[in-house]
Amino acid sequence: MALMQISEPGQSPEPHQRKLAVGIDLGTTNSLVATFRNGSLQVLADEQGRALLPSVVHYADSGSVVVGDEAQSFAAEDPSNTLASVKRLMGRSYADVSATEQLSTYELIDTEGMVSLNTRAGVRSPVQVSAEILRALAERAQQSLGGELQGAVITVPAYFDDGQRQATKDAARLAGLNVLRLLNEPTAAAVAYGLDEKEEGAIAVFDLGGGTFDISVLQMSKGVFEVLSTGGDSALGGDDFDQVIAAWAMEQTGESNLDARQRRQLLDACRAAKECLTSAETAELRVAEQTLSLAREQFNALVDPLIDRAIRACKRALRDAKLSSDDILNVVMVGGSTRVPRVRERVAQWFGREPLVDLDPDKVVALGAASQADQLVGNRSGDETLLLDVIPLSLGIETMGGLTEKVIHRNTTIPVAMAQEFTTFKDGQTAMAIHVVQGERELVDDCRSLARFELGGIPPMVAGAARILVTFQVDADGLLQVSAREETTGVESQIQVKPSYGLSDTDIADMLTASFDAAGEDKEARALREQQVEAEALLQSLSAALLADGEALLSEEEQRELLAKMEQLHNEKASGTAASIARQIEIVGAASETFAERRMDASIKKALAGRRVDEL
Amino acid sequence: MSEGSQLDFFTLLGLEKSYDIDQAALTASYRQLQRSVHPDRFAGGDERQRLLAVQKSAQINEAYETLRSATRRAAYMLKLAGHAVDTSATTFQDPEFLMQQMQLREELSDLHDAEDPEQALDRFYADVDNALTSQRQEFQGFYELGDYDAAKSSYAKLQFLEKLRYEAEQKESELLDF
Repeated sequence: MALMQISEPGQSPEPHQRKLAVGIDLGTTNSLVATFRNGSLQVLADEQGRALLPSVVHYADSGSVVVGDEAQSFAAEDPSNTLASVKRLMGRSYADVSATEQLSTYELIDTEGMVSLNTRAGVRSPVQVSAEILRALAERAQQSLGGELQGAVITVPAYFDDGQRQATKDAARLAGLNVLRLLNEPTAAAVAYGLDEKEEGAIAVFDLGGGTFDISVLQMSKGVFEVLSTGGDSALGGDDFDQVIAAWAMEQTGESNLDARQRRQLLDACRAAKECLTSAETAELRVAEQTLSLAREQFNALVDPLIDRAIRACKRALRDAKLSSDDILNVVMVGGSTRVPRVRERVAQWFGREPLVDLDPDKVVALGAASQADQLVGNRSGDETLLLDVIPLSLGIETMGGLTEKVIHRNTTIPVAMAQEFTTFKDGQTAMAIHVVQGERELVDDCRSLARFELGGIPPMVAGAARILVTFQVDADGLLQVSAREETTGVESQIQVKPSYGLSDTDIADMLTASFDAAGEDKEARALREQQVEAEALLQSLSAALLADGEALLSEEEQRELLAKMEQLHNEKASGTAASIARQIEIVGAASETFAERRMDASIKKALAGRRVDEL
Repeated sequence: MSEGSQLDFFTLLGLEKSYDIDQAALTASYRQLQRSVHPDRFAGGDERQRLLAVQKSAQINEAYETLRSATRRAAYMLKLAGHAVDTSATTFQDPEFLMQQMQLREELSDLHDAEDPEQALDRFYADVDNALTSQRQEFQGFYELGDYDAAKSSYAKLQFLEKLRYEAEQKESELLDF
């Protein structure tokens, strides 16, 4: 049968061969990679057995790039070429970060769009630095798993806006990873705990990290994780705990004039005292020449106002989810700061139940991402989980007078598409500028500028006659795409997308070229390989689809036509160039569009029919 | 246009066309549909298939969000009945409703000076929610009688109340300093 001739013998994977996929938690301080193997979720450690990879990149004198613990050892000696916490710079402009990053030891440069860093290896974007971290994790995984990775799920904070998400995805592309999904960190944590649970109910994910607090409310039902709301405080974390202890200590000792170095030492001592109080009842603290004793009770009183802020955000998130604290079945704890007993105590008190702390709060996110990666790459069949995330911040457009008009509200489930109609305000106007922003505030200046679009090619008409329909589409990764159409004439308007923070395809191509040059890789060979892989993936998925539904949904002629084009792609893959394969992929894709739509509609019908049967 | 995209939201989600919907059935069928069309189901598929999945999935989300919210459901049903609502200009001649609005607005503006703003805010939400519940019943009554003009005015009131609720949420952000 013709269908079977599509795959060469030995080319298609064995039916039971697992594909290698990982989950990556790209953190501000530390990053981790995890996978599902031998029946369980595991964090992959390096050769020294270290699971956490410090998110630090060092550009060495020799021209090499060092990542992780080795990089960190250069922090004191060569601070300007040792980059830490770049996650805070992802998708951010110089103006955004210059106030908060004053203490950074490296030089920030005001480049257009995203801020850059000046290193001895040249100007580096936070995307490139993050790509180094991802590459190190991917290499660790490939060594540990003994093969090439088929895909990765990368986690991002739920509150990340479009620019920050785009930057993260760009970094993964740059590191050569196939991104299966950008997953929100709290959702990943819930998945890690939800593995063996078949309970139904609402879960709260309480994520208190070093610098940020994140709360998400999810509804779990038969493997469907639906994010109901998400919120938090982007300036609340364990670092603030250290700060309040420091303020107390200075008050106690009467010390007020500390230099930068002494202040750093004091903060380190405060952190140590905080960690000590996790198990001990009192901790000792040295300030300048004095020693103080901090009792747990005193510490609790100091941090309570901070925990109050977190609880208030929880209240808000529950209200957004239209639930009360009694409705919450489980509270999942994420982030190192949830080790503080007072935090656990207050959370337990407010939610009226003990929070889940069985999984290491530093690893839980990577574990959940690994679980999802394993599923998305196609290693599981049957009881699949489905993750329905929400958009954390409203998307809007600038209207007259610098005001924002919201097009998609925060906490809307994604994917989402919304259309908005615009018109011209001058006779004969052929172009129109649209400014897309993200945020909750009324003034455009208080929101984050995502992109400026220039709609061109509008047919000249009298003012107000043109009807331009602009569609905003947010995909499952939370990434925005905009398209526009003039409705009266049907002219598809050209859109010049000028992302304010993301990278253009040319930027990515340039960076890839640079990294190939550095790695001594043959760009052409790599491009050919990529197209071959893509062609194979397309052929495999189409063959499977044809086997399943071809006869039911396509006429014999339609099947024949599609198969002929697939055959050509198969030949092109074996002997063509990168460009010719890409062309044929496009042809096969176009030819299969109707089939894809019919399949989608058929599965909708089947799903509905299935539900009615369930109800009987 | 594919067949699926022409279905009205009720049919798409396998429900009877009625204002009084079974929320549990709505949710169950929504999840079932998302299971079959969500882009994650096509993570290994080709680009076109994924794009199509994003569109379908977004359509189902829109249908679900529309039917789930009592106010949006009201507007949608008016539209299905050929009485699409113009949301821009609405005036009320209902003194009772105007009075209630004034009271609620006053309650909202007094929140700042309340002894316990959080508690006052909770009370305010409860008041608005009560008003919403009775307004929904009113809408349903008019709609089922086929009195679309009255149903439209009832819908406009629902919108006013929703707007108040939204303003309260904004105020909450200010008060609690997020």
